[in-house]
Amino acid sequence: MPLKNTNIVSAAQTKFGALEGVSLREMFSEAVDKATVEAGIPKKDIQAAFIGTFIPEMLVHQGHTAPLLLDYAGMRGLPATRHEAACASGATALRAAIMAIESGMYDTVLVAGAEKMTSVSTNKATEALAAAADDEFESSIGLTFPGVFGIAAVAHMEKYGTTEEDMAYVAVKAHKNASTNPLAQFQKEITLEKALMPRYIAWPLKLFDCSPISDGAAAVVVTSNEKAKKYTDLPVKIVGSGQASASMNLCDRSELVSFPASVRASKAAYEMAGMSAKDLDFAIVHDCFTIAELIATEDLGIFKPGEAAKAVREGVTQIDGDFPVNPMGGLKAVGHPVGATGVKQVVVAYRELLGEAGPNQIPKHDTGIVHNFGGTGASCVVTIMRRGDA
Amino acid sequence: MSEIPTIEQYLKNIEERHFKAYKCSGCGMVLALPSGACYGCGSNKMDWTEVSGKGKLVAFTVIHVAPDEFAEEAPYYVAIIELEEGSRISARLSGFDPLKPEEVKLGTPLVLTYEKGKSGKTYLAFKAP
Repeated sequence: MPLKNTNIVSAAQTKFGALEGVSLREMFSEAVDKATVEAGIPKKDIQAAFIGTFIPEMLVHQGHTAPLLLDYAGMRGLPATRHEAACASGATALRAAIMAIESGMYDTVLVAGAEKMTSVSTNKATEALAAAADDEFESSIGLTFPGVFGIAAVAHMEKYGTTEEDMAYVAVKAHKNASTNPLAQFQKEITLEKALMPRYIAWPLKLFDCSPISDGAAAVVVTSNEKAKKYTDLPVKIVGSGQASASMNLCDRSELVSFPASVRASKAAYEMAGMSAKDLDFAIVHDCFTIAELIATEDLGIFKPGEAAKAVREGVTQIDGDFPVNPMGGLKAVGHPVGATGVKQVVVAYRELLGEAGPNQIPKHDTGIVHNFGGTGASCVVTIMRRGDA
Repeated sequence: MSEIPTIEQYLKNIEERHFKAYKCSGCGMVLALPSGACYGCGSNKMDWTEVSGKGKLVAFTVIHVAPDEFAEEAPYYVAIIELEEGSRISARLSGFDPLKPEEVKLGTPLVLTYEKGKSGKTYLAFKAP
């Protein structure tokens, strides 16, 4: 049964990047202002807030962030909860909002995500990110986060013949798309040669296969059908939502070329929406690493297992291709402030669906899927969105 | 051993170079990594068990950029090995050149060993038989 009553009426993000001199609170507040008052939605209309942020304890020495951030943004007093699922934090916050609206408990809520990663050293940020992997049994023997996806890449290369060059094509696309996105961390195109530079992080993944450490925030306002009319003539509807978990360590998985949580979550979302991959026009997937984009499109049923690399080579996933994937640059080139990503993905889908993506506008934009994936794939949330008049 | 397996003891066993896996008292499934519930039958009753030490290579990566703790050891292999008993484990690889990963074949038979890293830590590792 498609969701009947969940609408997105505004969506905004800050610039992503190494935002020197800008704190977690300030980024959060900026995104919230853009999605509320600057979008014609008074803050006093918001009834509750669902906030995603991964590990501010380690990054800015701050826990209990939901009320803190809301207070700074001028909404003290509201029910405010922080949601955490590593890189899927933003989407789990969205899911809580969907449940709140569909249950009738609230009719106008804020979903926001933020992460401040550059006030600590790269080593410290890497250590914080490693907390999204199994510390006791995998991080403790020196497996890093890129290492986890390095293992997935090796398995995918062995099973399907995917090459380092195939993965590099994904990076080239990401930077190309981000070159016309003023909110992206990286705004320069790169050549295939540059993407293949053998600066290995975790073989076979190289520097350009990995999304960066970033700061940023994003926010959306979610309402019931009734309330949506107050703010816009054309809302974006959420028609399907799915979530799943999986083992965090890699050993308890029978397949390393596919992430079971992505498969489960997308099946649930498709079922709810009464759709399949054939009904989609585009996808926003979690490209924390280039290999992750390839695997995600296979897990979501957009390409057959092992065929994502071919599709990328043939230009199918470009903005003007048959099935655009990450048309604004993805995590790879726009940046990946962990808690903000899941919400920012929704912002991108919203803009594409409404035809407001400027030079990054895809031609067919009625229905899109958003795939937000946590850590080593221990969490995955999939959301299907459709323009209100489609 | 009749005591209840714990994660703490599991890690101590590796440090003392005497690896032991968990074994489900309900169905006999061997769990190379500790778990609170058996993946086979769901039982939460576990025992210790020895393993043959034989396994095969499932997948791997070579860590070049490592956290401070392991920086001196980089580059190093981290691999997934499937034990003869059917359960998988993550471990280092021993005796393979970290600068020649293209030469490492998946499915290659391995045997359990231990390796002391430059960091002073003792790691479970697998090497060619």
